Amino acid sequence: MSEPTTDRAESAEQRDFLQVTDLHAGYGQARVLQGLDFWVARGEVCAILGPNGAGKTTTLRALCGMVRGRGSITLNGTQLLGRSPEQAARLGVAHVPEGRGTFNELSVEENLRVGAHLRTGVGRRRRAERAAVAADLERIYGYFPKLRQRSRQAAGSLSGGEQQMLAIGRALMLRPSLLLLDEPSLGLAPLVTRELFEIVRAVNEEERTTVVVVEQNAQLALDIAHRAHVLEAGRLVLSGPAAQIREDGQVAEVYLGVSVSARKTG
Amino acid sequence: MSAVTEFLQQVVEGLGSGAVYASLALALVLIYRFTGIVNFAQGELAMLSTYVAWQLVASGMPFWLALPVTLAVSFAGGMLVERIVIRPVQGAPELTVVIVTVGLFIFVNALAGLIWSFTVKDFPQPFPDGGLDLAGVRVDWSTLGIIGVVAVVMGLLYLLFQHTAIGLTMRAVACNPASARLSGIRVGRVLMLGWGLAATVGAVSGVLVAPLLFLEPNMMGGVLIYAFAAATLGGFDSPVGAVVGGLFVGVAETLTGAYVDVVGADLKVGVPLVIILAVLLVRPQGLFGRAAVERA
Amino acid sequence: MSTIIATLGTGRARRLRAALTVLLAAAVAVGAPFYFAPFQVFQLTMVLLYAVALAGLNLLVGFGGQISLGHGAFFAAGAYTAAVMLDRYDTGHLATLPVAAAGCFLLGLGFGVPALRLRGLYLALVTLAFAVFLPPLLKRLEPVTGGSMGLTVDKLQPPAWSGLAEDQWLYLVVLAVTAVALLLARNLLRSRVGRALLAVRDNESAAEVMGVRLSLHKTLAFAWSAMFAGVAGCLYTWVIGFVSPDSFSFVLSITLLAGLVVGGLASLYGPLLGAAFVMYVPSVSQDVSEAAPGVVFGLLIITVMFVAPTGLAGLPGRVRAAVARRLPRRAPTSARTPEAESAPDGEPEPDAESGPESLAESGPGGDPESLAESAPDAEESAAASAPDVSPKSPAASDPSATDTPADLAVADAEPVGAPPRTEKE
Repeated sequence: MSEPTTDRAESAEQRDFLQVTDLHAGYGQARVLQGLDFWVARGEVCAILGPNGAGKTTTLRALCGMVRGRGSITLNGTQLLGRSPEQAARLGVAHVPEGRGTFNELSVEENLRVGAHLRTGVGRRRRAERAAVAADLERIYGYFPKLRQRSRQAAGSLSGGEQQMLAIGRALMLRPSLLLLDEPSLGLAPLVTRELFEIVRAVNEEERTTVVVVEQNAQLALDIAHRAHVLEAGRLVLSGPAAQIREDGQVAEVYLGVSVSARKTG
Repeated sequence: MSAVTEFLQQVVEGLGSGAVYASLALALVLIYRFTGIVNFAQGELAMLSTYVAWQLVASGMPFWLALPVTLAVSFAGGMLVERIVIRPVQGAPELTVVIVTVGLFIFVNALAGLIWSFTVKDFPQPFPDGGLDLAGVRVDWSTLGIIGVVAVVMGLLYLLFQHTAIGLTMRAVACNPASARLSGIRVGRVLMLGWGLAATVGAVSGVLVAPLLFLEPNMMGGVLIYAFAAATLGGFDSPVGAVVGGLFVGVAETLTGAYVDVVGADLKVGVPLVIILAVLLVRPQGLFGRAAVERA
Repeated sequence: MSTIIATLGTGRARRLRAALTVLLAAAVAVGAPFYFAPFQVFQLTMVLLYAVALAGLNLLVGFGGQISLGHGAFFAAGAYTAAVMLDRYDTGHLATLPVAAAGCFLLGLGFGVPALRLRGLYLALVTLAFAVFLPPLLKRLEPVTGGSMGLTVDKLQPPAWSGLAEDQWLYLVVLAVTAVALLLARNLLRSRVGRALLAVRDNESAAEVMGVRLSLHKTLAFAWSAMFAGVAGCLYTWVIGFVSPDSFSFVLSITLLAGLVVGGLASLYGPLLGAAFVMYVPSVSQDVSEAAPGVVFGLLIITVMFVAPTGLAGLPGRVRAAVARRLPRRAPTSARTPEAESAPDGEPEPDAESGPESLAESGPGGDPESLAESAPDAEESAAASAPDVSPKSPAASDPSATDTPADLAVADAEPVGAPPRTEKE
C-alpha cells in the first residue's frame, strides 16, 4: 500500500477549497460543536476522527445543510452555512448519510438516476447531458461491478455492503466537488469495508473528488486519508497529515482507541 | 332476463361506480404515499372541483373543454392546499394532521355552500344516452365512459411515475425524503406536485360521479367512505391496490344492495364499514400493501 | 426554582382561592336560569350537555391520543335509547340515564376491541364509516325508532313542589349531571386508568414495555368515552323531546371533534368552552348564511392547530409562558437560536437522521437527538404547570418541537429523517 502524499495540499489556493471557521452547531439545546476551525484541500481525502459523541457526524451534517449552525463554512468561497441540503447538493456537496439512505423501493439503476437528476440540460445540451449521465452510469458500474449485476433489483433487496456502494454511487452521479461519507463501515463485514475504502481511494485518485470521511475505524480511515482531524467533545484537538497522526502513538491511544496503537507496538 | 345476465348486469354497474371510488381512492393513496397523511378533505376538494366544472359548463363552455380547465384548476388548488394548509403541520403528530384535514373538510364543504348554495344542481351527462347490448347485459355508454376515463387517468399516472424524470424524483421523495433532499431534490415542490396530482385525480372522480348523483356540497361524503374502504382494502400505500379495491368495493356494494334483502338500497353504506373492519381485522396492510407500513 | 418555592409558599392561599372560585362558579351556574330568558336557558342547557359529550371525546382524543370521527353515533345511541324507552316502555326519564350510559359503555367496548388493533388513522376511518352508517340504519329500524319521522317523547317535567319552569328544571338537572360527569372525567384521569392513558398516548411502545396493559386501556378509554357521549345523548332527548336520524348525521360527529379541538384538547375545562362553540357558533353565524358556521369552524380548527394546539383552554398558559419568556433568566431562549436561524426557503428541513449513529454521536453529553426532542420548551413547561392544563399532549406540543417522526408512507428499512414542522414563532 503506497503512502498517500500530502504535499500537494499545501498551496494556499488549494487550502481555500473547504474552509470551516468557528463552527457551532447542535440539536435543539444540545450544543455539539463548539467552535470548530479546519480546512480541507482540493482533491484530498480528509478523515474526521474521534470518540463517540465528539461531533463527527454533526460536522458532516453541518457541511451538507442537514444541521444548522453558526460560524462559516465556505466551499470554493461560497458560503454553505444556512443552506438547505438540496441547495448544498446543487453546489456540489454529495452526502452519503450513515445508514446509507438508499431508495429501497427503487431499482439500483433508478437510485443512480435520482443521483443524476439535477443534471438535465435544456435544449441542445439535453442530449449531451444524457450521454454524460449514461457514461457516468458506466463509470460507476465500473467501480462497483456488483451494482451492474443487480441494476434491475430493488435497492432494498441488496446486502448492506451493496447498499453502501449504491449510496456512494448515487452520490457520485451528482458529479460532486465534495463527497461526504458518514461511517461507511457501519454494520459491514471487515472484508467488505476494506473493499469499499479501496474504491473510495480509487475514486479520489481518478476523479480528483475531494472526500471527507467520518469513521469510527480510525485505522481504516487513516489508510486512505491524506489529512485527519481529531475531535473531542465538539472541539478540534488535533489536525495534521494522516501519516503523522497514525505515527503518533499517544494520540492514537487517547483518541482513536487501542487498535492503532496495537498495530504500532505489534 | 336470466339470473346470470341479471348478475352480470349488477357487476357491470358495480364496476361503473367502482371506477369512481377507485379514482378517489387513488387520490387518497397518492397523498398517503407522499406525505403519510390520510386526507379527510379529499372528497370535498373533488366536490369543489366539480363545482368549478359545473360553473364553466353553466357559463357556456362545452363539457370536454371545461374538463381540462377544471383539472388544471384542481391541480393548482391542490398545490396551494399543500403549501398553505398542510406544510405547516408536516411532521406534526398524526392527530394534529388528521384534525387539520378535518378542518379543511368542514371549511371546503361550507365554502361551496357559501358560493353555490346548498340547493341541488343538475350536472350535465357528458356521455351519450344508450349503450351496448352484450349478450343481454346492457352496458351504458356512461358506464363505459367512466371506466374509460378512469383507465386513461391510471395509464397517464403510470407513465408519469415509471417513465419520466419527474416521476422518478416523486417516487424517490415518497420513498426517502431525507435522501431525496441530499440528492438535490426540492422535496417541498415535489410534495406540492403530489397534492396537485391527487387533487386532479380526485376531481376526475367528482366530475364523473356528479351526473349520477346530484351536485351539492355533501355529494362526496358518501363517495369518500367508499374510497376509504377501497384504499384500506387495496392497501393505503398501493396505487394498484386502490384501483382494484375501488372496483371490488363498487361491485360488492351493488351486489349486496341487489341480492341481500336485509341491506337493500338504503343500507348499502354499511358495506364500506364492513369492508374496512374486515380488512383491518384480517389483513391490516390491505391486499397490496406492505406489512412493514403497519406500525403497532 | 424561585417560582416553585413561591408556589409552595402560597399553596394554602391558592387552595382557598380555588375553593372560592368553584363556589362562585357554582353559584353563578345555579343562578343562571333565574336570570336569563327561557330561550337563553335552553341554549345554556345545550352547552352543558354538549360539554358532557366533549368531555368523553376528550378522554379518547385529548388524553388517549386516539381519533374518533364517530362520536355523534354514540350520542345518537344514547338519545335513541332514552327515546325508545320513553316511547315504548314508558319507563320514566330517570331510568333511561343508567341504561343509556351502560348501553353506550358496552357499545364502546365493542368498538374498542377493533380499536386495539387499529392505528389512530384507521380508528378515525372506522368511526367515520360508522357515523355515516348509523342514520340509514335508524331509518330502517322504523318499528322501533320511528324511521325518518323520528320519535317525539315527553320532555323531562319539573316536579310540582319545585315551582320551576320547564326550562329551569331541565337546566338544573342537566347541570347536575354535567357536574357529576365532569368530576368523573377528572377523577378518571387522576386514577390509574388516566395515568396509563397518558403514558400510552405519549409513547405507546414505552408504555407497553413499562407494563401498561395497552389493549385493556385503549378499549376502556373508548368505552368510557362512548359512555359520556351516550349520557349526553340521553340528556338531549330529555331536553328536546324529539329524536330523528337526521339530527345525528356524521356532521354532528365532526362538529363535536371541531368543538373539542377549538375548546382545547387534553384540558379539563376545554370541553365546556368547546361546547359553547358547538352551540353558539352555528346559531350566531347561521344568521349570516347557512354555510357560515362551517366556514368559521373550518378556519378556526385549522388556525387553532397552527397557532395554539392547546386550544382556547390552553391560551392562558401559553400567554403566561410567552410573558415569562420575555422576562430575563426565565427561559433559555438563546438555546433555540441555532434553529431560529430559520429555514432558507420555508420548506421543512429534514431533522438529523435518526438512527444508530445518533447514539454513537451521543457520548458523554447524552444523545443529542433525544435531548432535542425533550428539550423543555418554555411554553410547554409553563402550560404544564398551569392548573387544569394537562402536561404535553400530542396536539399540545409546541410546533417547533421535533417530536414525532413523520409518518411516512413508505416501507423503508432505513431510518428516515423526520421533517420537523417549520418554525412558527
